Amino acid sequence: MKKSKSLLSPVKAWKYLIKEPVTVSKKDIFLTPREASDRYRGFHTNDHTKCTGCGTCSDICPTDAINMIEMPDIEFEDGKKQERPAIDYGRCSFCGLCVDICVSDSLHMSKEYIHLSTDPNTFYFMPDENGIHNTPQKTGYTRDDVSDLLDLDRYEMAHEGVMRKKSFIEVVKGFSLQMALAESARCVECGVCTATCPAQMNIPEYIRSIYDGDLEEGIKQIYKTNPLANVCGRICTHKCETACVLGNRGEPIAIRWLKRYIVDNTPADQYEAAALSYVSEKANGKVAIVGSGPSGLSCAYYLSTLGYEVDVYEKKALPGGVIRYGGPEYRLPEKSVIKDISMIEKAGVNFLCNQKLGTDISLEALRDQYDSVFLGIGFSLSRPLPLPGSDNNEVKYAIEFLGQARDYVRGIRQMPDIHERIAVIGGGNVAFDVARTLLRLQEEKYGKSHVTMASLEARDKLPADLEEIEEGEEEGLLYNFGYGPQHIQIEEDKIAGLHVKKVNSIFDSEGKFNPDYDEADQHLIEATQVYIAIGQMAEYDFFNEEMQSNIEMFRGQVKVEPNGQFKDYPWLFAGGDIVRGPDIINAVDTGHTAAKSIDEYIRKKRK
Amino acid sequence: MTNSTSNSIENLKDLLTKHYDIKEFEEPIALQLAFNIDKESALDALAFLKSQGFGQLSLLTCIDWIESGQFQLVYILMNWDNGIHLQLRTFLDRDKPVFKTIQHIYPGVKYYERDVHEFFGVEFEGNEESYQHLFLEMWTADPPMRKDFDPVKYSDDKYSMREYTTEFPTKIGGK
Amino acid sequence: MNENTHEVNKLKEVKLFLGPQHPGMHGNYSVHMYVDGDIIKKTRPMPGMLHRGFEKLMERKLWMSNTALIPRICVIEPDINEMVYAMGVEALCGIEVPEKAHWIRMMILEMARVATHLFALGGIGGPTGIYTSMYWAVAERDLILDLFETLTGARVYHIFIVPGGVRKDLPDGFLGELSEYLNTLEKKLPDFQELLLKHPVIHARTKDNIMLPASVVHDLGVTGIGMRSATGTPYDLRKVKPYARYDQVEFDVPTATYSDALTRIHIKFEEIKQSIRILKQVIEKMPNTTDVKVPFDKGNALKWKVPAGMIYTAVESTRGEYGYFIVSDGKEKPYRIAVRGASYPQGLLGIEKYLPGHRIDDAPLWMDTMGVCSPEIDR
Repeated sequence: MKKSKSLLSPVKAWKYLIKEPVTVSKKDIFLTPREASDRYRGFHTNDHTKCTGCGTCSDICPTDAINMIEMPDIEFEDGKKQERPAIDYGRCSFCGLCVDICVSDSLHMSKEYIHLSTDPNTFYFMPDENGIHNTPQKTGYTRDDVSDLLDLDRYEMAHEGVMRKKSFIEVVKGFSLQMALAESARCVECGVCTATCPAQMNIPEYIRSIYDGDLEEGIKQIYKTNPLANVCGRICTHKCETACVLGNRGEPIAIRWLKRYIVDNTPADQYEAAALSYVSEKANGKVAIVGSGPSGLSCAYYLSTLGYEVDVYEKKALPGGVIRYGGPEYRLPEKSVIKDISMIEKAGVNFLCNQKLGTDISLEALRDQYDSVFLGIGFSLSRPLPLPGSDNNEVKYAIEFLGQARDYVRGIRQMPDIHERIAVIGGGNVAFDVARTLLRLQEEKYGKSHVTMASLEARDKLPADLEEIEEGEEEGLLYNFGYGPQHIQIEEDKIAGLHVKKVNSIFDSEGKFNPDYDEADQHLIEATQVYIAIGQMAEYDFFNEEMQSNIEMFRGQVKVEPNGQFKDYPWLFAGGDIVRGPDIINAVDTGHTAAKSIDEYIRKKRK
Repeated sequence: MTNSTSNSIENLKDLLTKHYDIKEFEEPIALQLAFNIDKESALDALAFLKSQGFGQLSLLTCIDWIESGQFQLVYILMNWDNGIHLQLRTFLDRDKPVFKTIQHIYPGVKYYERDVHEFFGVEFEGNEESYQHLFLEMWTADPPMRKDFDPVKYSDDKYSMREYTTEFPTKIGGK
Repeated sequence: MNENTHEVNKLKEVKLFLGPQHPGMHGNYSVHMYVDGDIIKKTRPMPGMLHRGFEKLMERKLWMSNTALIPRICVIEPDINEMVYAMGVEALCGIEVPEKAHWIRMMILEMARVATHLFALGGIGGPTGIYTSMYWAVAERDLILDLFETLTGARVYHIFIVPGGVRKDLPDGFLGELSEYLNTLEKKLPDFQELLLKHPVIHARTKDNIMLPASVVHDLGVTGIGMRSATGTPYDLRKVKPYARYDQVEFDVPTATYSDALTRIHIKFEEIKQSIRILKQVIEKMPNTTDVKVPFDKGNALKWKVPAGMIYTAVESTRGEYGYFIVSDGKEKPYRIAVRGASYPQGLLGIEKYLPGHRIDDAPLWMDTMGVCSPEIDR
């Protein structure tokens, strides 16, 4: 390029006098700064009512700028932690990765970008809805589906096809290795599930063990709080999944199936080594446990780990209680139950079966022979329904029937007598267990099934799990939900059917149980057998007169101290359905608490 | 273009296996070839490759394999005519990492060797001028890119952390 | 190859420090010079002012978290960092990025190239005293930064190109704004060119001065404009090893065979024009889909892993070949990432060997026209 020697070049430069300058001067640039673009990454804003306190923003921050601050005065809510993020703007790189990974879409970035202060403490800031200067700001960078950093879709669990109703094959197939790795990779390890679980299981840790490929560690983590891993991995009510923070925008982690993956796939020797790693030498005393249901089993295992000799008295022929005689085979196979119970036996627990408290052995005898007694007798009786006609022979009750059905599937009993058309009253999980078991037995005996269910609650308000309702429908159950049973039609000593009326409302304006029926909509459900599954209760006939009057009852449950001890009888403890629940995981937790309290009580007594 | 380059990569592999003992080749991405070679043949191979058209040394760096007790030097060469990048890697013993300088082949490597010496502690015989600090002033600790050097501990020992005294609210909507 | 074994004559020569603060825009870089009168006799480069320990830092952060740190390695042109990191991780994971993401990435890289060239041209203002060029260049660059702000949410450190694609789709009306800006820039370029390339002061300072002979290029390993202006070969990574759809747009690579500082400045202008040409084609050919990102592993970002392997990826930056050597051992954090700064050869050995013989006032101009960017040397 040649040098410019043009005479006109100085003159040409004058054209710039009339041209627009590029930069524009602005008065008050701090009070009214230029508005940033719509995606600007400025200071953060956080909606504290939506924020779950999970801490994923803190985990992904590249500069460790976010700390989770405990706020103890926040009300405890299921699915949230009592913490909120605070950001150190001296470290923040304004990358927006925290916004992209936020599970509840509460963290955003605003268009605010100016902050001047001589006090460095103002740069360490807990964002709320109104930015860093407590004035509402326009929203800048937000997350959308493209920039999302979470994996929101759960991996579908495979189920057996509809032909499953011809047998008692387990309905849920379980995860393969690939699916388990993929599902466990979704977990953000926040710990909200642990706080919600009644037994406070170390859920993030065992999910992590699947991801790391160390299943033995997973068993150890599970057995820290729950010795019934196989059972809970199949039929737990999974409150953790309801609380999982991923449920805010997507689908929660399939925690129950991941637990099942660990217990099904750990090699047997590693499983035994891990489960029995907590057990210690028996040197501290002897304890009697009445009832080998979930609470009794849990208490027995944890007392073994604390060094006690344990004798478990069970009134039936096989130990297990509701997991042996209650849960149906297609949801809880026998071999899983045996796996759990045999592990507890290996821990050094004695099972004495066919020993009923009050008949074969008395509570006073136990008190004299042992250092302490734990009652885990559970709700072993069905609650009756005083309908006209319910005294007929062909009116059966859930608890007895389920026990008979399981013994039949086990091969030690004849098939219970079931008819071709059956009605089931009830809307909870037990009612569905009864109905679906009946369906399978009918398929086996008659080649076809006809089971009708009726309950006061309408379909969308049933207490049973959604998957039970859906799977039952696939298998061919007939639903009459929202129809209340009125009486059982008896003709010539045989049942002709169940008479039901449509329910308008169950509770009256004061909240008391007072169903209101629609007289115009009533019909007869044809059936020759009626099964009643509306609830359970316990039998307390082993308490002597003095105990009967001293022990407080409430709705069929006994009142005990928070640690499981009876106030007037410090050697006596209780747990399980008769204390809290009714639920397996609650039973496990009460058993564990009672074990620790028994240990404390016996040590104090020794001093 | 692709045909001739895959040909060139094949030719290159043949040429290299003819002269040197190379166990396996990797092709992590198109137009790139990587291989491990032993320490004794590495210098010869570098000179040979320069004569084959790899006139540019893009990078010399080092990797610390602490578990197996080795350093791995990586020379990345480029041939602009066919666009092939070559990763030539060689292992050194971690306790006494010594290698020879290649300034006579690629003069531009002088500061790369100084860099690797400063951050890893590898000695390049013939490039003694490189044993002075370049990037790190007043450095008194181990070579920092080694895996057993803990930067957090060094920083905590030498410098103090700012303490914030901010008060946070204890409930939602609180002051 | 002239070895600088000059013996310093303490009676005649004075030790001067150039930098770390100095005219010109190449970051904090210090050079110790021994001068005899006006002529530099011996130099010692003293980098390290901007050493932030990125290579060690990147080993301690998750793969996704690293995307927020790497733009800071080359401050002036941050997008090339994100691009090579993304290319490396994607190649190790074996995933393919959606089509639109390639075009958006190309658009960002070319916009960054225009902005950086403008910045460098503005930087000539410092050493030569022609501050008008700095004002014009920085003002034009500011308008590009406005466009970046609309697209990515930040003006300088975009953190927009991530492994797997780009972080968000184009906002509405963006292509129209870009197109408008390119038209205004094209109108202003002739004036800018006249200002610099026809200016008598620039001619006096740069014509036949600060030469880069072809032999030096090969010895040092200089790439980019230095290589193309000295050897006349169109060796540009965008042509030799095309990435991100550069093989589907037409553009030329300006070359020269006589490399003095004036030629290199002229080539910078030509490259800006070629980048504008590429950008216009990108605007036309941008696909209409909405898919711009795929995850590179299953699960959430806190758990993403990259399969084991070692890979070197490079792009053509304004200063030459810029690359990352990524080593992964299959875990959630990188095992080793080594950065190949494009100006490493000329910034260190070039200053030691080839700066002596020039005048003191040529030293900052040397650094500017050779393309020395100190953040990428120091990392």
